Amino acid sequence: MAKTSVNSKIGEFFYSPASHLIKLRKELQWAIAEKQTLKDVYEEEKYKKLTAIKSKYDNLLAKPAFKACDKVEYADKVMADKLQAFDLKQYMQHRAVNHALTKAIFKAIKKGESYQSAIEKHQLQFKKVVAQREEFVKKLQKEKQDFLLKYNTKDCTEYDQLLAKLKDDYQQKEKEINLKINEKISARSKKLDDKIACLEQKIANVKTKIKHTVTLEKDVLLSVKGLKQYFGGLKAVDDLTFNVKKGEIFGLIGPNGAGKTTVFNCITRFYDATGGDMYFENKYGEVVNMRDFKVHDVILQGISRTFQNVELVKEVSVLENLLVACTREYQSNFWIHALGLPIVQKEDKILKAKAMNILKFMGIENYAGWYAMGLPYGILKKVEIARALMSDAKLIIMDEPAAGLNDSETAELTEIIKKIRDQFNVTILLVEHDMGLVMNVCDTVCAISFGQLLAIGTPEEVQKNKAVQEAYLGVEEE
Amino acid sequence: MGYFLDTVLDSTTAMCVTALVTMAITLIFKTSFTTNFAQGVISAFGAFVASTFFNKMGWPIWCAVPISIIVSAAIAVLVDVGIFRRGRYVNAVGKQIITMGLISVIVSITPLIFPDLKYFATNFLSGNISFVIDGYNVTLAKNALVSVIITTIVLATIFITLRYSKWGLSVRATASNEYVAGMMGINTHIVTAISWGIAGGLGALAASINATSAEIGVYFMTEYQVTAFLAGIVGGFATFHGPVIVAMLIPFCTNMIIWFGNGVISKLTGDATLGASIGNWATTIIYIIALIIIFFKPNGIFGKKIEKKV
Amino acid sequence: MDKRLKQQYSFDSLNVQSKTSKPIAKNVRGIFKNSTFQYLLFGAILIVLLLVSVKTPYLPYSWYGGLISTACFSIASIGFCLLMGYSGMASLGTGGFIGIGCYSVYYVMTLSGLSFFLAILVAILIAIIIGVIVGFISLRIESIYLVILTLGLSEILRNVYRVLSDSINIGRVEIFGMKILTADTMYIIVPILVIIMIVTKNLISSPTGRAMLAMKNSTAAAQAMGISVLKYRLMAFIICTVYASISGTMLILRNGSATASSGTSFYALITSLNILAAVIIGGYKSIWGAIFGTFVMYGMNTTILQNISFLSEHPELVTIISGVLVIVVVMFYPGGLAQLLQGFKGKISKLLLKIREAKYGKDLG
Repeated sequence: MAKTSVNSKIGEFFYSPASHLIKLRKELQWAIAEKQTLKDVYEEEKYKKLTAIKSKYDNLLAKPAFKACDKVEYADKVMADKLQAFDLKQYMQHRAVNHALTKAIFKAIKKGESYQSAIEKHQLQFKKVVAQREEFVKKLQKEKQDFLLKYNTKDCTEYDQLLAKLKDDYQQKEKEINLKINEKISARSKKLDDKIACLEQKIANVKTKIKHTVTLEKDVLLSVKGLKQYFGGLKAVDDLTFNVKKGEIFGLIGPNGAGKTTVFNCITRFYDATGGDMYFENKYGEVVNMRDFKVHDVILQGISRTFQNVELVKEVSVLENLLVACTREYQSNFWIHALGLPIVQKEDKILKAKAMNILKFMGIENYAGWYAMGLPYGILKKVEIARALMSDAKLIIMDEPAAGLNDSETAELTEIIKKIRDQFNVTILLVEHDMGLVMNVCDTVCAISFGQLLAIGTPEEVQKNKAVQEAYLGVEEE
Repeated sequence: MGYFLDTVLDSTTAMCVTALVTMAITLIFKTSFTTNFAQGVISAFGAFVASTFFNKMGWPIWCAVPISIIVSAAIAVLVDVGIFRRGRYVNAVGKQIITMGLISVIVSITPLIFPDLKYFATNFLSGNISFVIDGYNVTLAKNALVSVIITTIVLATIFITLRYSKWGLSVRATASNEYVAGMMGINTHIVTAISWGIAGGLGALAASINATSAEIGVYFMTEYQVTAFLAGIVGGFATFHGPVIVAMLIPFCTNMIIWFGNGVISKLTGDATLGASIGNWATTIIYIIALIIIFFKPNGIFGKKIEKKV
Repeated sequence: MDKRLKQQYSFDSLNVQSKTSKPIAKNVRGIFKNSTFQYLLFGAILIVLLLVSVKTPYLPYSWYGGLISTACFSIASIGFCLLMGYSGMASLGTGGFIGIGCYSVYYVMTLSGLSFFLAILVAILIAIIIGVIVGFISLRIESIYLVILTLGLSEILRNVYRVLSDSINIGRVEIFGMKILTADTMYIIVPILVIIMIVTKNLISSPTGRAMLAMKNSTAAAQAMGISVLKYRLMAFIICTVYASISGTMLILRNGSATASSGTSFYALITSLNILAAVIIGGYKSIWGAIFGTFVMYGMNTTILQNISFLSEHPELVTIISGVLVIVVVMFYPGGLAQLLQGFKGKISKLLLKIREAKYGKDLG
């Protein structure tokens, strides 16, 4: 017996089905992402080719177009352009003259002299500037006359002929390119389909090697059973049991020091729970015990979280902050990063598009290029929520989302939380002190005190519960 | 047995020096939150001062050493007031770099002020106490005895002051949280300055003791300083006594390993070179042991574990 | 085609938008903004400077020594920059790590008679092992404690070198049967420096760099985002030690000999401190900053200061100046010279604006 277990352990060291599954799923995810963005990528290629053809035709058309144009109209346009450029130059001269005048007047007032001479000087200069413009206009008109004398003919035949010919050409070429690109797309998508099918087959094979004995009740996403967390003699969480249903907003409340954050930290594996189990139906529909995972593998199962104090990377932009959440989704490894191969940029592009969509959804797309350092606290909180959304999580854990926000921001947050639940089809588990937010937003509320369950139910039920009232307000002495 | 005792007595001077240096470094670490790399050169400066008064001017040693202590303390206070008080909010690594810059300044100034000084010619007390055990001639330099007495008195005074005086309380308060200590009405500026002064003085005393057995130079205290840093971590900077105890253990253990090599292994195998080569590795072995201890007790032997909150 | 005609008569009348091709000047500017090109250019300029100082009298020969040792130590500083600026850990073990490179070259080449590049490979392998050890330690100990611990490790390594063979001398290295003279070492050192710069830049701007930054800001948040702290800390330390080790091989290639017990040897504490200072002075998040800081610590002395006649008469003043410079920079510019430079840029643009205002008055519209 002992021998086989040792063997299996050694085997696990070299090959573990769980890690193989993770790898396969990552590949599958990328294949699907590529398939989705396939059309966009080739559209870009097509656009590039067509624009190249167009600019070539533009060059061909240049001479006949000049012959075909109405020369008077053309000359007027040229003149207007030149005059505009000249005016722009003169604007600065005006400014300089005016500035000199104000300076001179101030100086004169300070000394107590009359500033009449300054004004006269200014008028002189001003006249000079105006005269310059008139001169320029005259020069332009002369140029126009010369031009018309030289070229005053209009001949459209050549242009029309060439244009018609090129139009036919263009249509033909466009058709060819479309055909080619469609072929390419279909070939690539066929390959991707094959790959996806193959990967799915492989995943199914590997899945059979992992046994899932636990099943959850219907519609339950997370089931915490008998959770215990002791710090030395202190029982921070003591035998806590609750279920979180799919698609609900679940609030965890309790007085300070009740162990709410500890529960979160146990679920996200920051603390290794002293006892108890946390069953979770992960991204792929399997029921897993969270205790089997390391803290940095939790996100792969579909749980992401936000923090009480905003914990963003200050030195990079908001957009890149969102990409941090996707570190595990990149297929490229250290060596590819070190060599700077173009694969990395390709992956970045796909993920950046996704991140931009989420930022748009949160209504903060204008801040995408900003550094996280120095942004207002309300925006940072939103960025953190956006980051939690990046990893396609099924369950988002929010630790005091309204802490440090003002009333209007809290109201906005309420809307956002509801919108997230509806749009992204996620379940939300939150700890909050702001009772208004909890009562507004939560479907189910669970009240705990000293690590033990007090009440669970709809917000109204919990509000009316006597034990909860005692925990918050203390026992009345009679 | 005789050889063993001799080896033990041999390490007394080194123990005194490391204990004093470690005390100085711990004081600065706790009040200024940085490791003072310039401690070694400031101490060395003190040794140069003492040597000048003692060798060149012929003053008695009981005058020369206190003068050197005062000079070093003054330099240290100057450094704190002039540089660290202004750079209060530079991060810990930045402060280290500042002390590093100080090294290059002091190292180049010292030879300008004291050209051609090499030896601290005489000891506190010349002569040896020697007795015979197991047919082995054990000697204890009177000088070492004096060093032990001085060190004991100084360290005991500092510990008692830290434990029972008002200043000690303010140092401990500053060490645990500078801002809060400041808000509670403790003048952290003065606390830090005094700590630096004491550290400088301790350094100069340590250098004077070390100079009785070694050639003085600008870098001659650096080795002890490195040992002191390590002792600080192994003992745990959380307390004052931890680093000092470990600091005294390190030279003792080094000598023990040398004794083990020369006295035990050589005798057992009859191969003198093997024993000597073990002696060569003594420092390395001690450092590795220290690293292993730190790996398993990250907060030091005497330190306390602090739970991190997420 | 004429711009004005285009609006009327271009092929765009087919109702498909076309972009005008980028003007050539803009493309050239784009190339100069490409960091890889910048690094290649830097390498070329460095080689030209070195050649000028060796072959012609326009630059004194002392420039060669200063620049080449800057190039050697820069490799270690860049690794340290990555460690400190991007993963938020500091170490004082650089001296010991540099020794790895020196000793592996010594043992592989002179004792086994194998090629120099194999020696570099061995140096990298040993550095990886040491890096893994330090990385594991860094999981348990942080901040200043880690600094002191690596200092201890460096001392261990130095003791080991001292006992193994106190002074090593490999003379002039032969590569492919050719003896590399002191002046020719630059053809190996500078390209390796440029490669290291490019690789580091790639890493910094890749997801790996982002993950490291996330870890530096908050380990808890990084872990929640799926970043394994163990993996990235190991990675950072391995990169740091490997770079330092490569830097050691370059130093021994140039100098030919080294002594462990002398206070100014490559493996001593002073080297670790100098590299740390270089990175702090230069600004610990920029590769250019690291190189410039290394120049201040290692190159400025021989290239610029010693050629000033007053300073060459009083060599002590040079060390005092560099010490004071370090203190001043750390106290007043915590972001290093990179920050100073950025501030300078801002100041210049402000100055230009002021000049404009003095001439034309304030822009009201």
